[in-house]
Amino acid sequence: MPVNVALGHVSNAFLIAALVIYSLSVVAFAGDFAYGRPRRAATARGQQAQDRAAALAAVGAPGRAAQAPAVPEAPGVPEPAGDPAASESMPEPEVPALRAIREAGRWVLAAVVLSLAGVTAHTAAVLTRGLAVHRAPWGNMYEFITALTCVAAIFFLVVLIRYRAWTLGVFVMGAVVVTLGLAETLVYTAAGELVPALQSYWLDIHVTAMTLATGIFFVAAVLGFVYLWVDRYTRRVAAGRAAPGNGIVRRLPSIEQLDRLTYRTIVFGFPVWTFGVIAGAIWADQAWGRYWGWDPVETWAFITWVLYASFLHARATAGWRGRRAHFIQLLGFTSLIFNILIVQTFIAGLHSYAGVG
Amino acid sequence: MTDVRAPETDPFDAAAEPDDPSRPGPASPAGGAFGLAGWLKWAWRQLTSMRIALVLLFLLALGSVPGSMLPQQGNNPSGVQQYFVSHPALAPWLNHLGLFNVFGAPWFAAIYLLLFVSLVGCVVPRTFRLAGSARALPPRAPRHLARLPRSAEYATALPPAEAVEVAAGVLAGHGFRLRRADSAAPHPAGPDPAEAGTWVSAEKGYLREVGNLLFHLALLGVLVSVALGGLFGYKADRLLVQGTTFADTASALDEFHPGRLVTAADLGPFTITLNKFDASYIASGSQRGQPAAFDAQISYTEQPGGPVRTGHLEVNRPLSIDGAKVYLIGHGYAPRFKVTDARGQVVYDAPTPFIAGTTGNFLSEGVVKVPDARPEQLGFTGVFVPTAVDVGGTLESVFPAADNPVVSLIAYAGNLGTNDGVSQSVYQLDTSGMQRLTTSPQVLQPGQSLKLPGGQGTITFTGYVPWVSLAITHDPGQLPALICGIAALGGLLLSFMIRRRRVFVRARAGENGTTVQVGGLARTDASGGFEAEFASLAAELRAACQQGRHPQREGE
Amino acid sequence: MPSPVLRTLSARVRRRAVVMAAAVLTAALLAVALVATFAGGGSSGVTYLDSNDTAVLYASGHRPLAPEFSSTTLAGAPARLSSYRGQVVVLNFWGSWCPPCRAEAPALAAVARHYQPAGVSFLGVDERDSQASAEAFVRNFGVTYPSVSDPSQVIALDFSAVVPLAGTPTTLVIDPSGHIAGAVFESATYSELAAILAKVTGKGG
Repeated sequence: MPVNVALGHVSNAFLIAALVIYSLSVVAFAGDFAYGRPRRAATARGQQAQDRAAALAAVGAPGRAAQAPAVPEAPGVPEPAGDPAASESMPEPEVPALRAIREAGRWVLAAVVLSLAGVTAHTAAVLTRGLAVHRAPWGNMYEFITALTCVAAIFFLVVLIRYRAWTLGVFVMGAVVVTLGLAETLVYTAAGELVPALQSYWLDIHVTAMTLATGIFFVAAVLGFVYLWVDRYTRRVAAGRAAPGNGIVRRLPSIEQLDRLTYRTIVFGFPVWTFGVIAGAIWADQAWGRYWGWDPVETWAFITWVLYASFLHARATAGWRGRRAHFIQLLGFTSLIFNILIVQTFIAGLHSYAGVG
Repeated sequence: MTDVRAPETDPFDAAAEPDDPSRPGPASPAGGAFGLAGWLKWAWRQLTSMRIALVLLFLLALGSVPGSMLPQQGNNPSGVQQYFVSHPALAPWLNHLGLFNVFGAPWFAAIYLLLFVSLVGCVVPRTFRLAGSARALPPRAPRHLARLPRSAEYATALPPAEAVEVAAGVLAGHGFRLRRADSAAPHPAGPDPAEAGTWVSAEKGYLREVGNLLFHLALLGVLVSVALGGLFGYKADRLLVQGTTFADTASALDEFHPGRLVTAADLGPFTITLNKFDASYIASGSQRGQPAAFDAQISYTEQPGGPVRTGHLEVNRPLSIDGAKVYLIGHGYAPRFKVTDARGQVVYDAPTPFIAGTTGNFLSEGVVKVPDARPEQLGFTGVFVPTAVDVGGTLESVFPAADNPVVSLIAYAGNLGTNDGVSQSVYQLDTSGMQRLTTSPQVLQPGQSLKLPGGQGTITFTGYVPWVSLAITHDPGQLPALICGIAALGGLLLSFMIRRRRVFVRARAGENGTTVQVGGLARTDASGGFEAEFASLAAELRAACQQGRHPQREGE
Repeated sequence: MPSPVLRTLSARVRRRAVVMAAAVLTAALLAVALVATFAGGGSSGVTYLDSNDTAVLYASGHRPLAPEFSSTTLAGAPARLSSYRGQVVVLNFWGSWCPPCRAEAPALAAVARHYQPAGVSFLGVDERDSQASAEAFVRNFGVTYPSVSDPSQVIALDFSAVVPLAGTPTTLVIDPSGHIAGAVFESATYSELAAILAKVTGKGG
C-alpha cells in the first residue's frame, strides 16, 4: 500500500504544533515557580507541612515524618487526642483534582491546559503518521522517539493530576520538548514503508511495549534527576555550603515523595519492559530462528533490564536506598538510550532497521 | 541526612510482631571460635544477602557489555577473524579472557550461576516461611492504633464487643484473614480481661509474596530451559538453489551446530525441495529497491518415501517439519555456467550460488571451480549484477531484481589446490597456483560465451536461478522458556499490584458510648492506593456500625 | 516455655531438611551430568583400525543392515543395492567438488584394480554433484566402477540412520548378506581398505 504523503505532512504539522504548545506549557510551569500563588516562607514546620499538604494532597505530607519515613502517611490528619470518647477523626476525602488545580493558581491552570493541548496534538501526530504509513508508527528511530515522548507526556499528565505534581512539570515537559526537538532536527525520516523482514504483528507488540516502557522510564529518569538535584542541594545546605530557602526546591515535593513517585513509575514500567523483551524474543524466533542470540541490541536490552532490577533490589537493601538507587536507575536509562542511539545505529547486528541515513 | 535508609526493623513487622524473625541480612561473624562450619555459614549468608545479589547483578550487566561491543564467535566468526587481523597484539589477550565468546565464557557462567545460587538460597527458605505463614494468624492488634501510618476513629452506640464483631464482619467480607481477641493465645504479659472481645486484627495480600517467589523461580526456570536448549537443541544452515532438493543429514548441511548431547543421528529425516522463489521489491518512490515480499514455495517429505507436502516459507513464518523449524533467512542469485575444456568436453554445467556483497542491490560475488578441466584446471572469479548500469566505466547494480543481469568474469588456469585433500571454501578461489588468462574482466550477458585464450576452452553464461538460505533449528527449551517468561511476568505483576496490609480495630467503652479506633499499614506499597483503600474501609466500618445500631436509619 | 523452644527446634530441623534436600539434588544432578558426559562410548563389537577412530570394523553380529536404495547411474542405467547381495560391496560416497574425495581417488582406483578380479564389487554414490562435473571426475581419475547420482543426498540420509555418516568422503564395506562390515569415515587409504577387505572377504569368501 502506498504511503499517504498528505497525511504524513499533516502528522508533521501536528508535531510542530505540539512542540510549540509544549514549550508554552514549560514557560507556564516555570512561571508558576516565579510568579505563582505565593508560598509563605518556611517559618514553622507545621506551616510548611500545611502548605505542602495543600499542594500535594495525595503524595503524602511530611507531617509525621518523625515516625516511619519509609511508610506512606495520611494527608492532614491531626494527631488524635488521648481521650477515647472525645472526637471522631476519619481520613479526609481527597480534594478533587480539578479543584486542586484551580486552587493552585492561574499559572498552574494554564500550564495544565497547555500540556493537555500539547498531548492532544502530539497524539494526533502519532496517529496520523500511523494512518499515513498503514502500520504502527514506530518503525524507525524518528517515529520511535516521537511515540515514546508522547507516552512520557501522557504518563506524566496522569501522574500530575493524580499526585498533584505540577511542580515537576517544568522538568518533565522540558525534557520532552528538548527530546522532540532533537528528534525533529537530527533523525527526521519521511513516512515510508517497512522492509518485509519487519512486517509481522509481533513487531507491533514488541516495539509498542518497548515504546511504552521507554516513555515511562523517561519520566522516571527526569524524576531521578530532580531527586538527585534536590538531594544534593539539601546535603549542601546541611553542610553549610549553600543557602537554605531556595525557592524552587521549596516548591518541589519532598525527597521521600520524589523517591516514592520515581519508584512507582519504575514499578509501572518494569513489567512493560519485561513483556517487551519476551515479545521481542518471540519475534526474533519467528524472524531469525532463535529466541535469544545475544545480538547487541538484545544484550543491551538485557543490561537495561538487569539495571532496573538492580534498582528494585537496591530499594530493599539497607544502605542502597535513596541516592545510590537513583544512580542505578539513571544508569539503566542511560543504557536504554545508548541502546537506541548507538547500538541500533552503529553496531552491526540483525536489529539494524533504524532507517537513519 | 537525606539518604532514606531502611529502619533497622521493617515497621510493618515492628508495629505488630515484635517476635517476627528479622529480615536475613549479612551478619558479621559472631565473636568466639569460628570453625569451618562457621565460615561456611557466614559465606552462605553473605551469598544469599541482598547486597551480594546487587553486586552480582551489576557484574552481570557489566560483563555483558564486552559481549555487545566485540565481535562474538557465535554470531560473527568472520568478524572475530577480522579483529585478529586488525588488532594482532590485543586480540590474543582478549581471547585468553574469553571476550570473543563472552556468553559462553566460564567467568560469565560463574556470575549467573552464583546469582542463581543466591536466588535459590533466598527463595527456598522464604517459600517455607510463606507456607508456614499461610496458616498463621495475623498478629495481635497494637495498643496505640493512632500511631500507625493510617488511622481513623469514630464513635458508635454499640457495645465494644458488638462493634468489633460488626467490623470483623465487614473485613471478612473484603477477604481479610481475621484474628479475634478471644481466640488468641494468652498474651505474653498475662491475660488482660479488659482486652477480651475488644479488638480484631485483619491481614490481606499474601499473594504478593507468592508473586515475588513465582517471579524468581520462573527466572530459574528460564535458565534451565536455556540449558535444555543448549544441551538438546541444534542449529543448522543450508543454502538451497531453486529446483534442487536436500535431505536433512549432517553431510548435506552447510553448517551444523549441535548441542552438547546432540549427534547427527538426531536430525529429522526430512527432505525439502525449493520449487520456486519469488522476491519483489519496491519499484518507485523514496523506498525504491527495498524488499516488499519474499516467498519460497517448497515441497517436503517428513521421511524418505513419505507423502510429499507443499508449503510456503516466508520471512517471519517458519515451517515446522518433523520437530524442527525451518526458516527463510536470506536469498540470492545463482548464475548458471557451462564450461567446455580444451578437449571439447563439457566439464561443468550447473548453477553457482553467488553471495551478495555490501554494496547493495544484490551485486554478488562468486567463484566457479572446474577441477576436472583438461589439460589444466580452470577457475573463474565473477561478479553478478542483477540490474546492470555502466557508471563511468564500472558496472553497478541499481535495482535488486534481475532486470538486466550481467556477469563479469576473470579466468584462471592452473592448480586449484583441490587435489591435496585440504577442504576449501566454495566461495573463494586460491589463485596462488594459477595463471590469469584474461587481462581484464569480461562482461557476459545471458547466453553469451567467453572463449578462453590459448584454446583453454569456453565458458557460457547460460542464465540464472535464485537460491534461498534456510535455517533449521530445534530447541526443546523454547516452549518451557516462554512459559517461564510468562510466569515471571505474572509473578511480577502480582507482587507489584498486591500489597500486604494489615488493619486493626479496637473498641473501647467510654462515657458517651464506644470509641472505635481503626489503624492500618501496608508493607512496601509499590503501586500506591492503600491510603484510598483505608479511607473507604474506615468509612464502610463506620457506616456498618451505625447500621447495626439503627437498622432503619440510612447510612451516613 | 515449651512453645518458643519447639518453634526454634522445628525451624532448625526444617533448615536441615532443606540443606539435605539441596545436597541430594546437587549430587544427583552432578551424577547425571557426569554420566551424560562420559557415557556413550564402549559400544561393543567395534574395532578401530586407526588412531582417529575413523576406520572401523564391525564384528559379525554387530553389523548394521545397509538400507536399500535404487537409483540411476551416471551412465543412465538403473542400479539397486539389493542386486549386490551375495558379493562384498565397497560403497564410496564422493563428490567432484570435494577435495578429500579427489585425494583418495587414486587409492580407491588402486584398490578396485586389485580386488575387482577377486569378486569384490565397487559402487560410488555421487553426492550433491551435477552430471557434467561428475562425468569429468570419472573420466579424469579413471574410475572403473559405476556411481549412482544422489544430488539431494537422500541415500546419505538413509545411511546416516545406521552409521555415523557425517560427510564425504565415506567408504562403507558391505558383506554378502547386505550388512555393513567396515567403514572409513574420511578419505580412505589403500592400507585401511585392504585391511577391512581382508577381514570381510576372509570371512565371507
